[in-house]
Amino acid sequence: MNNIALGRYLPLDSILHKMDPRYKMVAMLILMVAIFLPSGYLGYALLSVSVLIILFLTKLSLSMIFKAMKPMLFMLVFLTFINALVLRTGTVLFTYGGFTLYSDAIYQTLYITVRLVLMIMTTTILTASTKPLDLTLAIEDLLSPFKRFGFPAHEIAMMISIALRFIPTLIDETNRIMKAQASRGVDLKEGSFKEKLMAILSLIVPLFVSSFQRAEELADAMEARGYVPSLPRTRYKQLKRTFKDIVMMVVVSGLFGVIVWLSL
Amino acid sequence: MSIAFEKVSYTYAPKTPFEYIALKNIDLAIELNSVTAIIGPTGSGKSTLVQHLNALLLPSSGQVLVLDRLITSDQKQKNLKALRQKVGLVFQFPEYQLFEETILKDVMFGPLNFKIPYEEAKQKSIQAIKMVGLDESFLERSPLDISGGQKRRVAIAGILAIDPDVLVLDEPTAGLDPQGAKSMMELFLELNRIYHKTILIVTHDMDHVLNYCKNVIVMKKGEILTHQRVSDFYAIDQGVLDIELALPQRLRFMNALRTGGFKLNTSIQSIEDLALAIAQEIKP
Repeated sequence: MNNIALGRYLPLDSILHKMDPRYKMVAMLILMVAIFLPSGYLGYALLSVSVLIILFLTKLSLSMIFKAMKPMLFMLVFLTFINALVLRTGTVLFTYGGFTLYSDAIYQTLYITVRLVLMIMTTTILTASTKPLDLTLAIEDLLSPFKRFGFPAHEIAMMISIALRFIPTLIDETNRIMKAQASRGVDLKEGSFKEKLMAILSLIVPLFVSSFQRAEELADAMEARGYVPSLPRTRYKQLKRTFKDIVMMVVVSGLFGVIVWLSL
Repeated sequence: MSIAFEKVSYTYAPKTPFEYIALKNIDLAIELNSVTAIIGPTGSGKSTLVQHLNALLLPSSGQVLVLDRLITSDQKQKNLKALRQKVGLVFQFPEYQLFEETILKDVMFGPLNFKIPYEEAKQKSIQAIKMVGLDESFLERSPLDISGGQKRRVAIAGILAIDPDVLVLDEPTAGLDPQGAKSMMELFLELNRIYHKTILIVTHDMDHVLNYCKNVIVMKKGEILTHQRVSDFYAIDQGVLDIELALPQRLRFMNALRTGGFKLNTSIQSIEDLALAIAQEIKP
């Protein structure tokens, strides 16, 4: 439970941590699109170098990224396997028994791997350098133009921020209940299927009970303070654009232009 | 047979920016068959310390000897169940661990997990439920629609039914009314006197320490400041410990009486003795 590296905020002191979350988010979206454009070797080399530079600027270590990627490892192995079986174009690399491996299978897998790695890196950079609350503020601001069409931007941002706020609480709660039940002889590792089922039940029921209780208490507390979602609200935290953000947007847009040109 | 910590350190989330050292080089020997209190400010490592007793946490370095079981930082500890049957741990706010349809079933959950035969488990559970002061009418009720204090009792019964030799309780009386807290503490004292169980209580209530415990362990910032007899502890000047601890009510009252001119012996151990001493003082 403690080694979830994917999507976690890391309180470091870097230039990216100080940037406006709205601009960071837009820049990330642009980079994502760029990553999915078929821009060839040169394009991907350029993208990889740029993302690595941003990673370096965020003061994140490569080992962190590897940790975040661990859950994807299985998927990559699976992809390689499927590609090797299905793709039948390109030159023949070797034949063994009735099985032939084509060069395109390798290329395709490499492309997907590079895309995935770059994607995970960019999202990790965003989430590691931006507090969850700032992220939701950014989402609210970026979605607010759609308000005039009746889109509930504030409500959605509030829902996301409440959900994010309670993730660590729920993880703590799960750990606590797991330990309490372990003290009562629950063993998730050993035991028969029926015992394991019972063990999971002994975890889920208390978790649900306390979550519902918490939700009700939170709703009461919000109402007691007069929260009405549809009313105009002021904000304690004001997002501010600085020169850094503009420079970043220019650089990222430039990069995007080059990638589009390469993929034409 | 003993409970001993040797140079135990524990670090939460090591090698990350969230790294936090909760225990620092703890050496400790806990007296068996007695009642020991663990006190200290929040974040002093009390809860971390007690979770080592049934190997819910393994020490980052050093070793813990619990009864005849040696727990080291080795990650592959086998058959911890045997240890957990001997050391029962009741967490803070244990009422959140109830999940079964009936109270009896919930209390029986522990004993059955430890492979105690069904009939024996049932009998032990009924006995435990009675011990915590709930009558038979509760057996078939749902543990989710009784009051908070009653839930607490059911949760404690769930550990008592396992019949552990060592009972560790993390703030068992937090949030209970004074009468409920008193009967709870008396139950633990009785478990010690009659069944010779080793009892460890993490608490913030200094009156409980003075009235019910034999030994006291004071913790601060992951270290043990002192570990001694309760009677000796309250005889010394606590200013030397550099820690904010409220004096128990009885001692505060005695101090106030002394400043008011009463001559009271320092050996007074209970409210009854104190009442007698006061009666003697004010006799015309």
